[in-house]
Amino acid sequence: MSTELKEAVKPPSYGAGAPDKDAFTGRNGVPLYARNGVQSDYRTYEIYQRERVHEATDKIRPIQLVSEEFARDPYPALEILRENYPFYRDWLGNSFWVTRYDDVTSIFTDEANFETRPKRWFYGIEDLGRDLGQELPVLEAQARGIDANAERIAREIVEGFASNGGTDLAIEFAARFPMELLACVLDLPRQDFPQFVERYWRMQRGHLWEPKTRQSGLQAIRDLVAYFRPLIEARRAAPGDDLVSAIAGLDTDGGPATAEDLVITLLEQDHETLHGALSNMWFLLLTHPEQMERVKAERRMLKFAYLETLRHSAPVLTAHRFSRHEVERFGRLIPIGALLHCSAAAANRDPRQYKNPDDFIVGRKDLCQREPRGQYRADGLPAGIAVGLGKPTRHPAVPEDRPRSLYAITRDTATTASNVLLEMLPALKLKPGAAPTLRCLRLGEMHTCWSLPVIF
Amino acid sequence: MESITSFLNTIADTDTDSGSSNADTGQFPLMPLGQACDMGHAPDGTPLIDPRIFNSPEFFRNPYPYYRIMRDHYPVFFDKLHNCYYVTRYDDITTCYFDDEGFNTIPKGSSSGVLGNTQLELSGVEHRRRRNLYGQHLVGKSLDNRMHAIESIAKEMIDDWDTLDESIVQDSNGVRTIDIARAFANEFPIRVVCDVLGFPKESRKNFYFWYNSMMSGLGGSETHHIGLEARQHLEDYVETLVEERRVRPTYLYDAAGNPSGKDIISKLCETQIDGDYLSTEEITSNIALVVGGGGETTRGAILNMWYLLLQHPNQFQAVSEDETLWDAVFHETLRNSSPIGGQPRHNSFDIELHGVKIPAGSLINMVDFSANHDDRIFNDPEGFNIFRPDLYSGKLLRSGYRKEGKCSHMAFGVGPHLCPGAWISHQEAVIGSKILWRYLKNPRINVAKMPKDIDGQSLAPIGLMSVKNLWIDYDLN
Repeated sequence: MSTELKEAVKPPSYGAGAPDKDAFTGRNGVPLYARNGVQSDYRTYEIYQRERVHEATDKIRPIQLVSEEFARDPYPALEILRENYPFYRDWLGNSFWVTRYDDVTSIFTDEANFETRPKRWFYGIEDLGRDLGQELPVLEAQARGIDANAERIAREIVEGFASNGGTDLAIEFAARFPMELLACVLDLPRQDFPQFVERYWRMQRGHLWEPKTRQSGLQAIRDLVAYFRPLIEARRAAPGDDLVSAIAGLDTDGGPATAEDLVITLLEQDHETLHGALSNMWFLLLTHPEQMERVKAERRMLKFAYLETLRHSAPVLTAHRFSRHEVERFGRLIPIGALLHCSAAAANRDPRQYKNPDDFIVGRKDLCQREPRGQYRADGLPAGIAVGLGKPTRHPAVPEDRPRSLYAITRDTATTASNVLLEMLPALKLKPGAAPTLRCLRLGEMHTCWSLPVIF
Repeated sequence: MESITSFLNTIADTDTDSGSSNADTGQFPLMPLGQACDMGHAPDGTPLIDPRIFNSPEFFRNPYPYYRIMRDHYPVFFDKLHNCYYVTRYDDITTCYFDDEGFNTIPKGSSSGVLGNTQLELSGVEHRRRRNLYGQHLVGKSLDNRMHAIESIAKEMIDDWDTLDESIVQDSNGVRTIDIARAFANEFPIRVVCDVLGFPKESRKNFYFWYNSMMSGLGGSETHHIGLEARQHLEDYVETLVEERRVRPTYLYDAAGNPSGKDIISKLCETQIDGDYLSTEEITSNIALVVGGGGETTRGAILNMWYLLLQHPNQFQAVSEDETLWDAVFHETLRNSSPIGGQPRHNSFDIELHGVKIPAGSLINMVDFSANHDDRIFNDPEGFNIFRPDLYSGKLLRSGYRKEGKCSHMAFGVGPHLCPGAWISHQEAVIGSKILWRYLKNPRINVAKMPKDIDGQSLAPIGLMSVKNLWIDYDLN
C-alpha cells in the first residue's frame, strides 16, 4: 500500500487539547474518525432525495452546458433550465445549476451554508499571498486613483482615435480603458504598461479549466511578483498616492504586505465588470437606436443604461458557490462540498422579476436604480445581478465614513467614460454592415462584445 | 500605447472560431492507437491534459494513452471542467477502496439515480449488512445449485441460432457467419439473472429492454431520462412480483426437477433486519441493481474474451488444448479490457494526496481501467497474455490479492464494495465460453463485417466498454 496515501487520509489533528473520544476503533479494528469533534456517522440513502421519473430532465442534455454554442449564446439553454429545472442536477459537470432570481440571491446571501472559493484556490496557490482588497487604505487609494484618472484617460483614449473617422470600440475603448486606468491607479511607469497588461490578462484568464492558459497564468503570476518586488520596496521607502504605496504601507496581522500579497489582491479583483459593462452597454446602445436616442436626449439616462446592461447582458454569467455542509434547498438535499452554478444571466432574465426580460429598456421601472451593495432588493426592487460586485463587503453600510462600494465606483467610472465618448463623438454609430455579437472567448470567461466597429 | 491594444486584439482574434485549431474547439484529432494527441506542454515539458478530452470520441476509442499521462504526471488530476478528481494508480486506488470511511460512496454521482437506492451507495455497517443479505444468493451453494441452469440456458440459446434472421446469422458454403453479440452474449447474462431471480420466462424480453435502457442512462449520459423511465417500469413490475411472493413464495428447481429452495425474491421477502421485513422499495432497488450489474460485465467479458483471444491464435490454440485456461482468459481479458471503467468515491475529510489538496465532499473517480494498465504493477500492460506471470487468476478475493509478484485485476474493484456478482459473472462467462467453444468449429473473426473503427481500422484494441458486435465465421461441418 502506498504509505503516502495512508498519511494523507489520516483525519485532521485537533491539537493537543483535542478530546480522546474523537478517535476510536470500530468493529474489526477499523479506525473511525471524527471531524470537528463530531463523530462522522454513516448516512443511509433514504434521506437523500433522488431523481424520479417525473423529474426526468429530457428537455436539455448536459453536454449543451459545455458546448461552443453555450459559450456564444447561453440564454436559450439557461431559459430551458430556469423554466423547467430550476435546480438542475448536471451529472456531467458534477454540479447543480441555480437559475431563478429568488433562488440565486438566496444562495448569494447565505454565507453560512455556501462558500466561494477564491481564484487562487482554483490556481492551487492558496498560500502564495493574502487578498488585501478589503483593507481600508487599499479601498481608499483605489477610489482616489480612479476618481483622479478616469476622465483624463477616457479623453486621451478618445482623442487618440477621434480623427480616424472610425474604430473598433470594443477593443480600442472598452478593453483598453480599464487597463490604462488600472495601470494609472498603480502608478506604473508608462513604458511598463503593455507588459503589465499582458501579464495581468494572462493571470486573470488562467484560473479556469483550460490547462494551457493555467500554465501561462501561473507564469504571469511569477513574473508579476518579480516585477512588483522592487517596486513595492521603493514605494515603502518613498510612498506616493497610489495603490502600490497603499499596499506597501500595510502591516496587518500577517505581517507587512509583500509583492505576493499585491499580486493576489490584483488577482482576486477583476476588470471584467468595467470592461464587460462598457463593451456590452455600447453594443446594446448601438444596436438599439431608440434607446440610444433616449440616452442622447437625457445624459443622466447613461447610468440607467449601465444598470440595465448589467441586467440584460451581464458580462460575468455565473458565480460558483460550494456548500459548506449538507443542506436542504429547493426540495433537494445538497451534499457537502457540492458545486452550485449560480447563474446571474438566467436570474437577470427571470420573467418572475422583470416584465419582458429579454428587452433592453433603459430606465425600466421594475429594476432597482441604485447600487444594491449586496442587497438585491434595495427599494423593494430587484437589482441586476452583477457577480463579483454584488457580494457584501466587510465594511458595514451604516457609518458615514464607510468606503464607497466598488459597485458605485465602477458604475460612476463607466458612466464618466461613456459621457466623454458621447460628448466627443456625437455622431457615433455602428459601421454599416457590421453585425456585432456577444460571446465568451472560452467557456466560463466573460460574455462580451469583442468587435464593435463604429464610424463617427 | 499602441501595444496595449495590439495585445488586446490578439486575445480577441486568436480565439475566434476560424483561427483556432481543432483542439481549441474541443474537437480532438483521432490519434494512432497507443498515442495521445498533443494538448500542450507545461514550461518544464510535462504534457498537459485538456479536460474536454473526456467528452471526445478520441478518448472513448483510445483512453489508455491519456491515463498513462495521468499516472505518470498527475496521479491526482483535478478536472475543473467536470468538477472532479481522477485517481489513476493501482496503489492509490486499492488503498482508497479499502477505506470506505475516508472515501465514501454516498450518492452524488455513482449511479445518477438510474439504478435507484442501492447498496452501491452505502458505507460501513449499513452496507455490510445488506451486502451479506443479497450477496449470499450469488455465491457458494446457492450458486452451485444454479450451475446446471447456466448451462441449459446457453445450450437453449445456441439451439435457437437456426431460427435467427439474416441480419444476425448467414450461412454459405458450409460456413456460418454470426454476430455473437446479438445471437448470444447480449442476452445470455440477462436470461441467467432472470432465472436466478426467479422471474417468469415471458418477462425476459422486457428485462432485456429495461436493462439496455438503464445501462445507457448511467453516469448522467444523454439518455439519462430513458434510464430513469426504464427503472420505473422495472420497479413497477418487480413490485407486483414482490407483493405476490410475500404471500405465495416460488421455488427454484434442480436438474432433476426437484425444488432446490426458494428463489431470491421469495427469500428476500421473508428476510428481516432488526426485526423489520425489508421494504418493497428496498427489494426492488436491489433487484434493479442485480439486473443492471449482472448484465454489462458478463456481456462485455464474453465478447471481449472472444475478440481478444481470436486475435491471438497461439493463445487460442493453448486454450483449445487445455479447457482450464478459460479462467486465465477471463481474468486477463478483464485486466486488459474491462467493460467497467471505475467507481466514484467522495472523501469524507479534507485530504492532500500527491500534493493536491482535495476538499471534503469532492467527487473522486477511481479509474479501474488505469489501475489495470499500471506498469508499476503489470509488465507490458497493453499486451494481451493469458500466461501473464504477474496477474493473479484465482477466485477473486474481497481483500484483493497481492503476493509473490502477482496482483489481482481491478475490474470488480476490491475491498468492501467488491462486486458481489464477481463469482457468478466468472462462472457465466467461462461456462458460456466453453459451450461456445465446443460448438464453434475453427472460429475466426469476420474482419469484413466488423464495424469499422473511426480511422478505418477494423480490429482495434478495445477502448472504453466493450465491442458492440462481434462477427465470427465458423465451419458447420
